[in-house]
Amino acid sequence: MVTRVAEQPFTVAKIPVSSWTFAIRVWLAMILALFVSFWLQLEAPTSAAVTVGILAEPTRGQALDKAGFRLLATVVSVTASIAITGLFSQARDLILAAFAVWIGICVFAANLLDGYRAYAAVLSGYTVAIIATQQIDTPQHVFESGMARGAAIMVGILSMLVVNTLMFAPDRQSRLVAQLAAIRRRVREYATATFRGEPAKTTTFLALLQEIVALRPEIPSVALESSSGSVRSVAARSAVVGLVAELQAVRILNSAAVDVDSTVCDQARAALERVDNSGSPAQRLPGLVAGLQCVRDVETEASAWAARELLRRDKEVREDLLALRSARWPLRAWRAPLYRSYRTAAKSGVRAALWLAIASIFYVWAGWPAASVSLSLVALMTGLGATTPNPRGFTVGTLVGAPIAAVLTGILEFVILNGADAFPVLAIGMAPFTIGAAVLMKSQNLLWSSLGRVNLMFIPVILAPSNPQTYNPQNFLFTSLFLVAAAALLLAAQTLIPPVSDDERRMRLLAEARRELQEPAHRNAEAPEEATFRDASRIGQFLAVGGAQDPRALAEMLACFDQSAMVRLCEAKLMPLTDGPLAPLADEARAAIIKRDAPTVRTIAHRVREMAPQADSIETDVAACLILTGEILDRGSGVDFSQEAT
Amino acid sequence: MAHTFAELVVGGVLFAPFVTYLLAALVLIVVLRPLLHVVGFAKLFSHASVAELSLYVTVLSLLMLLF
Repeated sequence: MVTRVAEQPFTVAKIPVSSWTFAIRVWLAMILALFVSFWLQLEAPTSAAVTVGILAEPTRGQALDKAGFRLLATVVSVTASIAITGLFSQARDLILAAFAVWIGICVFAANLLDGYRAYAAVLSGYTVAIIATQQIDTPQHVFESGMARGAAIMVGILSMLVVNTLMFAPDRQSRLVAQLAAIRRRVREYATATFRGEPAKTTTFLALLQEIVALRPEIPSVALESSSGSVRSVAARSAVVGLVAELQAVRILNSAAVDVDSTVCDQARAALERVDNSGSPAQRLPGLVAGLQCVRDVETEASAWAARELLRRDKEVREDLLALRSARWPLRAWRAPLYRSYRTAAKSGVRAALWLAIASIFYVWAGWPAASVSLSLVALMTGLGATTPNPRGFTVGTLVGAPIAAVLTGILEFVILNGADAFPVLAIGMAPFTIGAAVLMKSQNLLWSSLGRVNLMFIPVILAPSNPQTYNPQNFLFTSLFLVAAAALLLAAQTLIPPVSDDERRMRLLAEARRELQEPAHRNAEAPEEATFRDASRIGQFLAVGGAQDPRALAEMLACFDQSAMVRLCEAKLMPLTDGPLAPLADEARAAIIKRDAPTVRTIAHRVREMAPQADSIETDVAACLILTGEILDRGSGVDFSQEAT
Repeated sequence: MAHTFAELVVGGVLFAPFVTYLLAALVLIVVLRPLLHVVGFAKLFSHASVAELSLYVTVLSLLMLLF
């Protein structure tokens, strides 16, 4: 029995100290960025402050990773701005159409990526709107505006980097190690329950899978944290892929409906229970293999093989975690591919382009002065919304958060600062607003957290700090109104043309999983473990769009996952037989697997087993693998596949 | 004699000479990283991130001094 004592963080005013230090770091970085921008007399100091607000990430690695992508995306978008403005310089309608198409392309790309890569894709989209749309009447200034923005972003990034480093912002790596070790322990508990004969809980499996897959976008952040970071990042990636393979091995063991030989089972369970971080499962394996001597038939051998496979996976994960802790290269470097649904991404891209087109038409028709600012805000919200699971929810959040940010900025500008022109006064005046928003952002509550982020981003946008500060109420009123108008207009456009619904996404993912099972895509140089991780990331996406509420689709999705993984494992096991005397049997087995003919697969397994020279040969493993494949194919055919995907 | 700095011109756009030094120092640090990993640089310091920032500043200053 393991007792866990939750570590209580030290709190000040019921808020963890880590949140306070994070908030103070953000404030200091913002002030430093503004100070350097004023000192260098940059044209867009606001961009430097907003950059700090956007790069406000809890760990140093994450902030660095995001900063790198922000810089890259800025270069791409400045180039795109120059190209678009150059191509359609005298045609307003064409230029707006080109913006809409560009945003669509960027949203499409963002849907195929995750983490900060997705953010970079949408940033490339909306920066074009900020640079080129705002200069729609003065195209000759596009380059200058792009350079000014680029310089300000660079200052913001450097400020954040220096403050994070000197104030000892926490590293992502140490927390990642703890998270991975905790997940491994839970996977082992899940496996031990299976050995005890307890029914496997799908919810536990799904929760573990979701947590593992969610770590994927954060792993590259580790690479930038230190000189050993890239090695640690590779080890962490391998550990994550290995954990999914281990989880899959538990499911295979679970699905072995055959009688599990008690000797083998007890030994494997004992091995799993005994092996802690100080012991090596490899030392216990001989005992387990000895248990194989007393197995009676092919079915029992299959269970023993599944148990051994699980122990092997667990050992691999343990070694990867050790490599991660000690900054060593793992034994093999696995990639962690992401599942990409091109059709859903294309649909989202088309919708984003249409929303921007609708907003453009409205602004052209309204003929407001400075409507281009509002249009660029629509592009910003469309882009940022595309990186969230629910774009319309994000717009609603912005519509709620923007007036709050406007009121707070009004208080800051016209009540607190009210004409002050000394930099220290600006720094002190901004402190409660920046620190407050950053503390809110670290809240566990999603609503508070998103309100905090919106405020951290929009307060510098509306305040637009400059040297000297203008304190123009008209500017403040216009910016606030255009911000709210942009959110309202985008919400109207999203109501008219709704984003791709969760149901549609789910059905699409399911249809793609089903199609891939029938016509497996052969990707060269991809290990079965990597392909299984891709399938796991698809389940993660499925759950993110409410897959847990649809038990029938979920069961089918899991059946597809099990079958694909098992078929790939079986194909890998059959590979060594291709050149030997068992080649015809291996071909027959492959054909039977493609036809999903479970009885034939089982018959072939028995024939392979009869031809095995000894108990622990490759042929025995192949036979065991084929038996389990037969079981999983049988179980999969029990799931209703009749419902056609739309 | 005053130290002269070479201008960086990209597509007809002039960049400050300091940008060249910043980029050169960054490239050097990226190239040095595998070596730093081999010698266990990160394990030598209690705050490896500060040490690496200091190393970057040292490389940058050396470049400005020597070239």
